[in-house]
Amino acid sequence: MTIGFAGRRQRGLLILLGPALLIYAIFAIGPFLDVIRLSFMHWDGLSPHARPAGLDNYRAILARDPVFWTAFSNSLIWTALSVAIPPLIGFALALALDQRLPGRGLLRALFYMPVIIAPIAVATIWRWMYDPFFGIVNATLTDLHLSGLIQDWLGNRRVALYAVFVAYVWQTVGFSMVLFLAGLQNVSPTLLEAARLDGARRAQSLRYVILPTLRPTITIVVVLSLINSFRTFDIIYGMTHGGPVQSTQVLALWAFWQSMQLHDFGTGSAIAVVLLLLTALVVIPYLRWTRRAEERWS
Amino acid sequence: MSERAQHRPTDWFLVGLWIVLVTGAIVWVVPFVFIVFTSLKTEGEIYGSGVFAIPRSFAWHNYVTAWQRGNFASSFFNSVVITLVKVPLGLLCSAMAAYALAQVRMRGREALFTLFLFGTMIPFQVLLAPLFSLVNSLGLINSYAGVILPYIAFGVPYQVFVLRGFFRQVPRELSEAAMLDGASHLLIFWRIFLPLSLPVLAALLILDFVATWNEFAMALVILQDSGRWTLPLGLMSFQGQFSSAYGQLNAAIVMTVLPAVIVYLIFQRYFVSGLTAGAVKE
Repeated sequence: MTIGFAGRRQRGLLILLGPALLIYAIFAIGPFLDVIRLSFMHWDGLSPHARPAGLDNYRAILARDPVFWTAFSNSLIWTALSVAIPPLIGFALALALDQRLPGRGLLRALFYMPVIIAPIAVATIWRWMYDPFFGIVNATLTDLHLSGLIQDWLGNRRVALYAVFVAYVWQTVGFSMVLFLAGLQNVSPTLLEAARLDGARRAQSLRYVILPTLRPTITIVVVLSLINSFRTFDIIYGMTHGGPVQSTQVLALWAFWQSMQLHDFGTGSAIAVVLLLLTALVVIPYLRWTRRAEERWS
Repeated sequence: MSERAQHRPTDWFLVGLWIVLVTGAIVWVVPFVFIVFTSLKTEGEIYGSGVFAIPRSFAWHNYVTAWQRGNFASSFFNSVVITLVKVPLGLLCSAMAAYALAQVRMRGREALFTLFLFGTMIPFQVLLAPLFSLVNSLGLINSYAGVILPYIAFGVPYQVFVLRGFFRQVPRELSEAAMLDGASHLLIFWRIFLPLSLPVLAALLILDFVATWNEFAMALVILQDSGRWTLPLGLMSFQGQFSSAYGQLNAAIVMTVLPAVIVYLIFQRYFVSGLTAGAVKE
């Protein structure tokens, strides 16, 4: 009787957990482990056998691949910008749109709208906006009598990365804004009112009431912005393919390029592992923090 | 208190803030307006009239031509099939696993949950090559299953995280009482917990719909036959082939983006709750 019950229970558990666990293990954990294995192999991606390579692939990217270092430094620049700029604008928008203002629902919706658009469509939209001859960016500069600034935004290797980043800001600001708006709902209105009655200025309320409450939200926004910036692929692929002359190349795209276009899965995987290590530097402390915070809540 | 509030003098700070916000919002929608305008202009108008000019001819034929030349009927169909299969199936898998992780006593539960949590942090964009070789070794390149399975795998972690958090708030007595009546976990999940979580499921559903609809990188390596392309792939190829047919290119952009925008406008509320459910707690 007891055995039968336990058996049925086991089967139920298997049905509940099985599908998610199986698919997740095969199609997410599997490739994750495989990329580490492949980074120590020579493989073209199609032949039946991969040859062991030791540390060759790592040596190759670190010593002999100039594009790797371009991609590496671009990824760092991109990450630094992504952690600073969209969250700051998002924070400012959230503070402003938390006030009782006419039409704030509509304004929130407008600022959030680019978030839901396919990054590849954002890339296409901005390519057209940056069109040197018929695009809106250069046309606006002409109208503002700033013709001196006109250029081929995506064709100039000194500005292309930043031009792409502007499109990325447009797409991602709404994401930070929504998270900050949700965080602001936890700010105690009584505390704010008390501060106001004590004669606190807006800046003081922000410093002493709002910011301390928002600390967990700030952590989350920063970590998510970091992780998303490491993932950036579509928008760069769509706008420049990493060009001109690799000036917008980043690690995720270069890993893809080495494997899927140059058929060097070993090198591509070594680049991917470097990016995973960078991600781990951020993620591991964050996961610890999440688990601890969760224990506190429950 | 409220009476005093009504007689408060005009707050010039807020007035200024509002003007800044409205200006910002106008800048934010300019790209959309520019795309829609261009999509409705003839070639002659694009070359001849100013960028800001309102389209005079309303060249709807741009849409028809782009639809046919870009083979959008096929991409649209593929996107619809993949999204309609992936989203409910993935959500069901996640909900079942989340229920087990929240309500069933078992050994190694915490470790299992940490394993799932780990997945929210893996950038799959880095794993395109091993994903390709895995799907290839299973003979699933160019098949719907070839993208749907990895989509589910990378969607499960966040959904499990959110749903487990929700299921944990349901008092354990509820499932224990049902257990005493002889109900199995499957039955309890199906009859009690699934209906309870409908608002959370709705939020995750909308979020996942848009994410699946928009996904590009994985589809790029797995769906190589143009007959299997999804809309983002179709748009990318159209941009490559007809980059100087500006009117049609912009019509193609509008057609790709519109379904997600419509879903967003209808279900706005759920987006916010789906996004914040995982990130911000009371």
